Formats: sequence, structure tokens, C-alpha cells
Amino acid sequence: MSRVLNLILTHQRRPEVERLLRWWSHCSPPENILLAYGGTREEFEKLPGVPRLFIPDPRLRVKELARGKQSYGGVLRAAADWLAAPANAGFTHVYFVEFDHLPLVRDLTARLLQRLADERADVLAHHLYRVDGTSFEFYLYHIADPAFQSFWRRISVRQDKDVVLQMLGTGSFWTREAFLAMATHPEEISAYLEIYIPTLAHHLGYRVRDFADQNTCSRANPVPGITSIEIARARGGWTMHPMKTITGEFDAP
Amino acid sequence: MNKLKLKVIRPVVMWFVHVLGSDIRDVQTGQVIGRALLVPWRGRILMLGCGMVLVPKFFPQPRLTFWKRELGFTRHPAPDYPHEPRA
Repeated sequence: MSRVLNLILTHQRRPEVERLLRWWSHCSPPENILLAYGGTREEFEKLPGVPRLFIPDPRLRVKELARGKQSYGGVLRAAADWLAAPANAGFTHVYFVEFDHLPLVRDLTARLLQRLADERADVLAHHLYRVDGTSFEFYLYHIADPAFQSFWRRISVRQDKDVVLQMLGTGSFWTREAFLAMATHPEEISAYLEIYIPTLAHHLGYRVRDFADQNTCSRANPVPGITSIEIARARGGWTMHPMKTITGEFDAP
Repeated sequence: MNKLKLKVIRPVVMWFVHVLGSDIRDVQTGQVIGRALLVPWRGRILMLGCGMVLVPKFFPQPRLTFWKRELGFTRHPAPDYPHEPRA
């Protein structure tokens, strides 16, 4: 029997978090939600009584995400520790999302599990690309650091140790095994999370696949023409990003 | 000054780059995969305005020539690697 942990990263204040949890309550029982909090300690103390983790990691709070090589290492390690507790051993999968990556369908969990099975994958990610040897700006920025490539060559179980993957970091779906292996691996290099996370999973031997048709409504920047949740649903979106402010009610079919 | 650069100067420059640039076609499929202005500069080629993930690749030559080669671009296929757990 599968049980999915919805790991939601947020830095918002209590009223917004309450609205977010109310939204998520249409897609997940509250006991399957874990908040990772990247705001201030004072705001963290005011949050409603749900399972939550305070993430003090300064690398989560960089000013420029890619230039500052923002890391989710602190979030991932804290979540892995939480999952390791005997009470949480029943979680078989992890859906890791940022607060503004909103679910749009009630049966999201079932759809994610089905897609993972169909793809025979360990990880599903949005906008997954292979970027080594390309003109991709994040890759070129990282490859300037000699430690970057030598790290992958040292840890990789793959034949081709130079493969570098890139994903949109706002929402990804994991088997428990792949998540724990990725989250607990020593973070020996400084790399932007959108490159580090999928590349690490790949080089640890896990099969990372793209969400494909589910990329339409979940992009780094607002999608022209997809200006509301209703439009995103009409386009077949299971999730939507970015949607920083929740205005209406869920009322999905 | 930084705000001026971001809000005004950059979009204007990028508009010129877009107008003066040319479509980038995939070496393998012939499909248009982006648009950029390519400028030779000190023994390199500057790619201006291209936000796509492109792999540089020389075109195959059906006729052998000694004076000309064509450098183009292609894309990696979508990642589709097997599950290979650590032994």
C-alpha cells in the first residue's frame, strides 16, 4: 500500500500557510503533509499545529537563486531525518513542492503514482533536460568550477559520468528509496538545486523522468495564456506553478 | 542604475538581437530550435539572445570540401536512463 508524503516548502506567514493547508486538504489528508519552513524562527513558532520543520540553512536563503547556487540540502536532510523516525516508516513516496506549486486535482496522489509506474521511474520532474555540453547558462556557470565535474565522476555508478541534468525545482515526485539516497548523500559541492538534485539522483543510479505533458502549466515563470487555476485545469494540468497567492476555493470536480 | 539596465536597456538590446539574429535549425532534424545572433569575437563565437539548451555540432558534409565547414546546433534527447542501482 502506497503512502505519499507531501513535503511543502514555504516561507509564508501563518494566514497564507493556513490558506495553503486548506487548499492541500482537498488533495491529501493532513497527516500526509509535512511543512518545511524557510522563513523566520518567530513566524515558524506561530504556524498552525501541523508536522513542520524549521530549516535554518543559510544556503536556502540566498539572494540570487542560480548565481548564489541555492541549495535545498537543509530541507532534504531535515526531511530525511523526519522520514527515518519509526512513526514515519510507512511513507513509500515523497512529493516535494514549493508553496506556489499548487495541486489542481483531488486525485493528484493516484495520478503521480500511476505516472511513476508507467515510466518505471524513481523520480519524476518538470522540465527535465540533459544539459552537459550545451549552451545552457546554469551548466556553463557550474562547469567553470573544476570541483563540479570531478564530484560526479567520483560518485557516479553510471558508465557516462559526465551527464548533467536540469529540472524545474518547484515540484518533484520520488520513491522513498531514491529520495532518502539523494537527501542523505553528503553535499560536497556547491551547486544550484535545479542541477544538483536531478544529477545526483541520476548518478546514484535512479531513473529520473520528465513529467512531459504536465509541464504545460508548471513552468519557472507565469505561462502566457494560463492566468488562472480554471484555465490550467482546462488545459489538463494536475498542478500549476507559479501561483503565489491563493484567492478562490479549490472546488475541483 | 541596475534597475534601469534590467527594465529598459536590456529589453531594448534584446529586441535588436532578436531582429538581427537568425533562426537556429537543428543539425539533425532541420527544425527551428531557437533564435540567436552569432557574432565572431576574438576567435570565439558569441551567442546573443539564445535561451535554448543547444549542443554545438558540425554539419555532416555530403561533398568533401577543404575550405568550409558548417557549425550548427542540436539538442540532447530527453533523459531516458535505466534504473541502475549501486551494486
